[in-house]
Amino acid sequence: MSRIESVGTYVPRYRLSAETVREAWGQFHGAGITETAVPGADEDTLTMGYEAASRALAAGSVDPRGVDRLLVATTTPPTEEEAMGPRLVSMLGLGAATQTRQLTGSTRAGVEALVAGTQTDQTTLVVATDAPRGSPDGEHEHAGGAGAFAAVLAPSAPGEIPAHADHVDPHPGTRFRPAGSAETTGLGVTDYDRSAFVETVGQAVDTLDIDPSTADAVALQSPNGKLPYRATGRLGVEADTIQRGTVVHEVGDAGTAGPLLGLATAFADGAERVLVVGYSDGATAAVVEDGGVTHTPTGDTETVDLSYGEYLRMRGEITSGEPDGGGAYVSVPSWKRTLAQRHRLVAGRCPDCDALSFPPEGACQGCHTLVEYDSVELPGTGTVEAVTAIGQGGAPTEFVEQQARSGTYVSAVVALDGPDGEQTVSIPAQVVGVDPDAVDIGDRLTATVRRLYTQEEVTRYGFKMLPAK
Amino acid sequence: MRDAYLIGAGQTAFGAFPERSYRDLFAEAYQHACERVDGGIEPGDIDEAVVGSLGVGGRQLGLSGPAVTEHVGLHNVPCTRVENACAAGGFALRQAVQAIRSGMADVVLASGFEVMSDMSGDVTKYWLGVSGETEWERLTGTTFSGVYAQMASAYLDRHDATAEDLSRVAVKNHANGAKNPKAHLGFECSLEDAVGAPEVAAPLNLYHCCPTSDGAAVALLASEDVVEEYTDERIRVAGVGAASDHVGLAERDSYVGLSATETAAETAYDRAGVDPSALDFAEIHDCFAIAELLAYEDLGFCDRGEAARLLRDGVTDPDGDLPVNTSGGLKSKGHPIGATGTGQVVEAFDQFTGQAGDRQLAEPRYGLTHNVGGSGGATVVHVFENEEVAE
Repeated sequence: MSRIESVGTYVPRYRLSAETVREAWGQFHGAGITETAVPGADEDTLTMGYEAASRALAAGSVDPRGVDRLLVATTTPPTEEEAMGPRLVSMLGLGAATQTRQLTGSTRAGVEALVAGTQTDQTTLVVATDAPRGSPDGEHEHAGGAGAFAAVLAPSAPGEIPAHADHVDPHPGTRFRPAGSAETTGLGVTDYDRSAFVETVGQAVDTLDIDPSTADAVALQSPNGKLPYRATGRLGVEADTIQRGTVVHEVGDAGTAGPLLGLATAFADGAERVLVVGYSDGATAAVVEDGGVTHTPTGDTETVDLSYGEYLRMRGEITSGEPDGGGAYVSVPSWKRTLAQRHRLVAGRCPDCDALSFPPEGACQGCHTLVEYDSVELPGTGTVEAVTAIGQGGAPTEFVEQQARSGTYVSAVVALDGPDGEQTVSIPAQVVGVDPDAVDIGDRLTATVRRLYTQEEVTRYGFKMLPAK
Repeated sequence: MRDAYLIGAGQTAFGAFPERSYRDLFAEAYQHACERVDGGIEPGDIDEAVVGSLGVGGRQLGLSGPAVTEHVGLHNVPCTRVENACAAGGFALRQAVQAIRSGMADVVLASGFEVMSDMSGDVTKYWLGVSGETEWERLTGTTFSGVYAQMASAYLDRHDATAEDLSRVAVKNHANGAKNPKAHLGFECSLEDAVGAPEVAAPLNLYHCCPTSDGAAVALLASEDVVEEYTDERIRVAGVGAASDHVGLAERDSYVGLSATETAAETAYDRAGVDPSALDFAEIHDCFAIAELLAYEDLGFCDRGEAARLLRDGVTDPDGDLPVNTSGGLKSKGHPIGATGTGQVVEAFDQFTGQAGDRQLAEPRYGLTHNVGGSGGATVVHVFENEEVAE
């Protein structure tokens, strides 16, 4: 049985406040929610999952190549068909023999994946990532947030799951998303929805055969900021105990990642024993004991408040999509050939002169001779050498949509550090996660993976740079 | 090796002519060039034609060369189109010189043409953008304004120069272009206007960027064996240099200079047997204001880091020691991509033959043209000498 080695979380930096929605609509249907997290124009559940997973891997001692299994849980994958696992394997540098499984169709999938991850002796990476949407004036949209959680599980790790239980009981109409729709909905039968939540969560916890009041925190599925607290009586726990494991107030409904972000927050807050429960047509409950799990702090980035107009732009609600005129055509096969560079910054070292070249093809950038490069994975840190902020009208066609959504963006030449810390190799890259006017020559950066652009409905993911922490 | 001489050069006005075709523009430039050959020239005299264009917006990607030469009656004359982005015209001229020097031809036409203004903004951006490095650089969301802005950021960071100095390039070139009836943006602009223009790609604003123009320009060259049949003028192509560099900026050794320009200039000066101090004027590739400053240094007009001072001191003004872009340059005269390089030669011809009107310099002996493809992936430099002007 595997245990938790390390956890990582990621919440996008943009926030939409309840007050802003109330100004726009005259009302706000996200009960108990102060603000929700909004993915940037170049983010989705895949890139958020990558962020959380890379943090979890960095926090622990497991070599990415040693991961046997990758479990990805989401209700909002970027594509309905075409799994996220293989792309995450490539982005994170896991082995090609990794078993990848995607759990979807239910907000419960996040806790399910964590429990499933502990049920073998294999080294497992669990990723729960979500960004639920709803109709613009509805409770699911107003409550909908975004976030990702990842955990590395290994046999001798400190974090134990001593007990877990499932209870299933279909409650048609409480929450569903019709095929082909991007909007989660529900019939909104208040008492029925409430009792479905309280009763199935209660039944699963009963099956655990533990006293819930021994938990330092309870991390419940949180479709909104009030529902979790409806379970205090049924579970026999204090509202404070639930609040300690709840992030929905500041992040919004993070779907599959919601209860797990609550778990991570409780651990970071010093909780030793957390009761975590995923819910949807039943409940999956687990007791999770910290025991020395390593984790990265949540909320480590500065947040940016959005106006309602900026929110609509960022989500692509009022932008025009890819303009006519086409972009520079980079064929899918030629893109595939460069995935190691796009995803993991694999450069080449010249066997003759030792210089680094990126991409590792063509003549060596140091000695200008055609060589067979030795493959070198760069650490992903670097320094700005030249920089511009592309304003309105300055974007090539493929990036017109990105600019329409998120405004001025930064494009830079970045000297990436070599593995030995002395040599560098320069690449062009966007710099994100920062005020466009605040990027200067000499600034230190660290690599991430984001959506670059979409052509012929195929989204190309590749490296971008963030300010170094 | 036989020398090549410039016997005539002509052009259309540069500007936005959405209703005109590239053939029609070429025909006007061709006729203008022929009219300016003192002794006249017949279509049958032309042995060879080399034309430069980026691709005239994709409307005749293949065989656009024969499409224009046959259109004007240069029947059965071998014609080749050369493509080196914005340096296509300059490289067409270089090919023409090669044809003469090799002995394959005695009279050669070198030209460039482009029509972009009839296309939607998105399609234009496509055609301009695909000459940058498309697989990596462009996928960070840059077109040329972005890449030159990156160079400007590095230059302003390293040297004693400001964004206001970049604006001074626009002020100077607009003052010159206002005297050029062929200029696309032939009006003067104040430093205040230039500094206050809307930002395009920081630190570059609109007045740091040239327009995209329509137009055509034709230069006619003759070998030393036949030049006297056409003109008494002796405008010799004294030196030619060209070089390439990585297409993407990040792969280059420097972001504050174009090594292709440096190498091309060294070669051209060497072949011409002169150094930059001999020059009486220069037409240089100011697609963005920073490009003119970088070129001052790459062409050896001043030391590294001294370009802004050279400009501020008025050295490159029309009454300075080395007037630069008396035509208005790309900024004011305009930038019809493939036609720009041969358009520079038209200004040189005007200056050498005393036909430059209000822009006329006093009896220039040596003049230089400098044409850059993309952000510096290809550069060609020509040094011309008017042999009639005594030392």
